[in-house]
Amino acid sequence: MFVSRSMTQKVVTVNKDADILEAKELMEQYQIRHVPVVEADGLLIGMITDRDIRSALPSSFYKKDAEATKKAAAPSIQVKEIMSQNLTTLSPMDTIQDALLLIQKTMVGALPVVDKKDKLLGIISVRDLLRAFINVLGFGQPGTLLCILAEEKIGQLKKIVDIITEEKISFGSVLVARYWEEGKRAVFPYLLTNNVVNIKKKLKDAGYTLLDPMEWYMDQLPKTEFKDSK
Amino acid sequence: MKKTGFLYDDRYLLHDTGPYHPEAPDRLSVIYSGLERSGLLSKLVRLEGSMAEMKWIESVHDKAYIERFKSVCQSGHSSFECEDNQLCYQTYDIARLAVGGILEASRQVMEGALDNAFCAVRPPGHHAEFNRAMGFCYFNNIAVAARYIQSQWGIQRIGIMDFDVHHGNGTQNIFETDPSVFYYSVHEHPSFAFPGTGRAFEKGSAEGTGYTRNYPILPGQGDNEYQSVMNDDFIPLFDQFQPEVLLISAGFDAHSDDDMSGVNLSTEGFSYIMEKLVETANKHAGGRIVSILEGGYSLKRLPELVNNHIELLLKG
Repeated sequence: MFVSRSMTQKVVTVNKDADILEAKELMEQYQIRHVPVVEADGLLIGMITDRDIRSALPSSFYKKDAEATKKAAAPSIQVKEIMSQNLTTLSPMDTIQDALLLIQKTMVGALPVVDKKDKLLGIISVRDLLRAFINVLGFGQPGTLLCILAEEKIGQLKKIVDIITEEKISFGSVLVARYWEEGKRAVFPYLLTNNVVNIKKKLKDAGYTLLDPMEWYMDQLPKTEFKDSK
Repeated sequence: MKKTGFLYDDRYLLHDTGPYHPEAPDRLSVIYSGLERSGLLSKLVRLEGSMAEMKWIESVHDKAYIERFKSVCQSGHSSFECEDNQLCYQTYDIARLAVGGILEASRQVMEGALDNAFCAVRPPGHHAEFNRAMGFCYFNNIAVAARYIQSQWGIQRIGIMDFDVHHGNGTQNIFETDPSVFYYSVHEHPSFAFPGTGRAFEKGSAEGTGYTRNYPILPGQGDNEYQSVMNDDFIPLFDQFQPEVLLISAGFDAHSDDDMSGVNLSTEGFSYIMEKLVETANKHAGGRIVSILEGGYSLKRLPELVNNHIELLLKG
């Protein structure tokens, strides 16, 4: 769950004296939106984004001679003139959770990862986090999602896990979420199987309610609990 | 009345999935006795299983994968690659017998000896990928049939309709870059059902873009949604594609009484789908249909569902 395991390590970077058109070309070539600006020794000094560049260039509305216009109108804007400084950075020992919360808080699309001396080690973007999240949910592998309603008391999850284990079925993931009914929890095991018939029966026999997935809408949850905490 | 082939072989019952497995030999037994009881059996042209030539299976599956499957069976293991895939010593041979029977049915349909055919086989096939067994499936029966028909009769456009409640990831995987095989699947939404693929945005890739179509059905939905799938989506797409032969992955597990899914299709709903499929085949494919059993686990409902399915093939 550490940032260093999920970040992109081969980072596309640019020199501060480079023309912004060079940065723009890099973004198009690698399909990225954030390019860290580094010194020759790898020291991070800024970040340039596709939005910074678009703001600095004339509109490309007239597509026909867009390139010519751009080159004429932006003869010598250097990266250092428009890059962001005072960056928020992560350390390789920060966690994925840190990255998620920090990206939510700072409202940026990617954060650079640096060592103690500000040397660039990697970059973690919203895309990297999505990939990590898909991995955590387990649904990159074939399986079936169950939706179980359980009392909010100690030992409920163990019973569910025991029943599933008895059937020799592997877990892709388990999510436990708030339910809108007081004293209840919704448990979502993602099971790596096609065969959940026996498990469903056993869970019902053990007194659990299987939720109709269509009744499960996040927007039916009390809105206040989901308000942004900032 | 059409000349309808019916592939069934007692040896298909020998694929032993152990106790409590939904993909059990009883599925075929109840289908067979249901056809006997209704009197339909005597109207069908009977076909038996036969060992498929390996070159056809190899036209779809990795040789190393086939070898792995063979050795797992013959070394006495009870599962292959995942606990779901229960098998026994004979499973490899029976899977070959299933494919061989399907190829024979396909041959007779293509050569005009039969108008259409239903293949009551085990094990099923549509989850099996190029080099991966999954969801009770080992050889992708329908994919081998499609490749066989393409290469033997030079068919340019094969349409596959998969109404099993689970997405046929294997069939999609095998044909996703191939514009000559249109794979259409309607199934329970992958966020709620196995195998977690078959989302609406999966449309094929490279040259095959646009020749894979996935239509997810939400849990609880049923006849109305399937009617609109057929009329507003499937028929317009296949009218445009104009398949020269129609292959069907016939899974009967979307029935409301089948506990392998949350979809609520009725017995009449299944017939509605099949009527539209027969119409489509008549319009574009000279009526040529090879329908192959996939899932369907309600022993109570399977006989009536397969009876109705075959009646519509006979009616043509």
